[in-house]
Amino acid sequence: MTFDFLILRQHFPEMLSGVVTTVRITALSLVLGSFGGVVLCFGKLAGKGIGHVVSRFVIDFFRTIPEFVLIFWVYSCLPLLMTLRLSSEASAILALSLYSAAYLAEILRAGILSVDRGQLEASLSLGIPTATIWVRVIVPPAVRRMSPAIISFLSELVKVTALLSAISVAEITYQADILGGQTFAFLEFLTAAGALYFVIIFPLSMAARYSEHRLHRQGVR
Amino acid sequence: MSAIQEIIEDSGGPVIRWGLLLLCLAVVGYALTNANWHTIRGLDFSAVWIYRGALFNGLLVTLGLTLIAAAFGILAGTVLAVLSQSPVGPVRWLVAGYVEVVRDTPLMVQLLWIHFALPIITGYNTTPVESGMLAIALHAGAYFTEVVRAGIQSVPHGQWDAAYALGLPMWTRWTRVILPPALRIVLPPLASLTISFFKGTAILSVLQIGELMSVAGRISNATFRPVEIFSFVALVYLIIGYAFSRLAGRLERYMARSEGRAS
Repeated sequence: MTFDFLILRQHFPEMLSGVVTTVRITALSLVLGSFGGVVLCFGKLAGKGIGHVVSRFVIDFFRTIPEFVLIFWVYSCLPLLMTLRLSSEASAILALSLYSAAYLAEILRAGILSVDRGQLEASLSLGIPTATIWVRVIVPPAVRRMSPAIISFLSELVKVTALLSAISVAEITYQADILGGQTFAFLEFLTAAGALYFVIIFPLSMAARYSEHRLHRQGVR
Repeated sequence: MSAIQEIIEDSGGPVIRWGLLLLCLAVVGYALTNANWHTIRGLDFSAVWIYRGALFNGLLVTLGLTLIAAAFGILAGTVLAVLSQSPVGPVRWLVAGYVEVVRDTPLMVQLLWIHFALPIITGYNTTPVESGMLAIALHAGAYFTEVVRAGIQSVPHGQWDAAYALGLPMWTRWTRVILPPALRIVLPPLASLTISFFKGTAILSVLQIGELMSVAGRISNATFRPVEIFSFVALVYLIIGYAFSRLAGRLERYMARSEGRAS
């Protein structure tokens, strides 16, 4: 067994384009998912009516269905049911945005609900305008408490993009798999793929741990 | 009405509700106007019924893999979590390295690596089923280790001190003093991890190991009915996953209540 670094150097551009695709898809789904997450979060918090029921259903649906099944369904079944042509990357972004929206909605909701009740009642009875309550009383502690969960969700999302290789989106795993098949250097390319993911995700998991640690030290619970 | 609801109501509760209603109508309207009625009218779910035996077997394999992941995970996770508290540095580093490497790379890459790259090192070709089981077991081991470790660290310091002061031997200290409360605390997170491994088994279908998703792929290739088969399979995953998560939620509430009674 030999580990051939030369072949990795030779195919460096392909692997790099895989990294770019992974980052692009993660970023786009995170942005679109955040919009969806905010909508779903307030839909669920608003308490009654059809919006509440629908938000709850959508959140539960996309949190329960396996990511792989969701990605595969959006890619292979949705275009058949609709007069809709999606490239594999577009269907990937659609599926991952829905997935992120559901998870981010729950994280946001937990953050908002974690704000101390006494502080809310105090600001209400002081007659502070609601806009100010949001900006000054709710958002600062909520953001602090959500940040570990949001960072770990981001690393989860990067890991989920590896599933996109099954619908031939040219991200890191797909490139490694294809290059491995072409050159029979599976060991080199798959190890490189794993190392690339590690390089992206390890700082994130460190950051999540750090922000969690800081939270506990401040005694905010 | 709680304070947060009052604040949301004040800052535009009706707007949110009507906005959501409009959004729902817009999505439904878009779906209806762009639906491919020709395909939808031609949907024929009889393929699901014809292949019910194969699908059921696939489901059993999926559940079996989940069970393997959970059983191996709890076992390895407990042992490794105990080792992660070892006074010997290299042991701690090895455990931390394993946990970090597995948790910071995707299951998909681990699976492909174990199936295609590991045989180059070991010289032993694993079958897809062996690779799949190995991958999900290793994956589960790392996640469970992290959870059990958190449980061990949540055991109050006084209990460690008491065990030392009584001069309990190491084995007794772990099995009688530290692990029982630690494992009790981590029971709810262990349950939700098991659900995520149930979802993760679908990933193993890229190696065609005969679980629900790969069975579905094979049937859809044979019958040319991907929409019916995959939608049905998605529904099965949804129902079982939802039932599991309801059970896990109930367990969590039960634990929280009995915790409150104990203290």
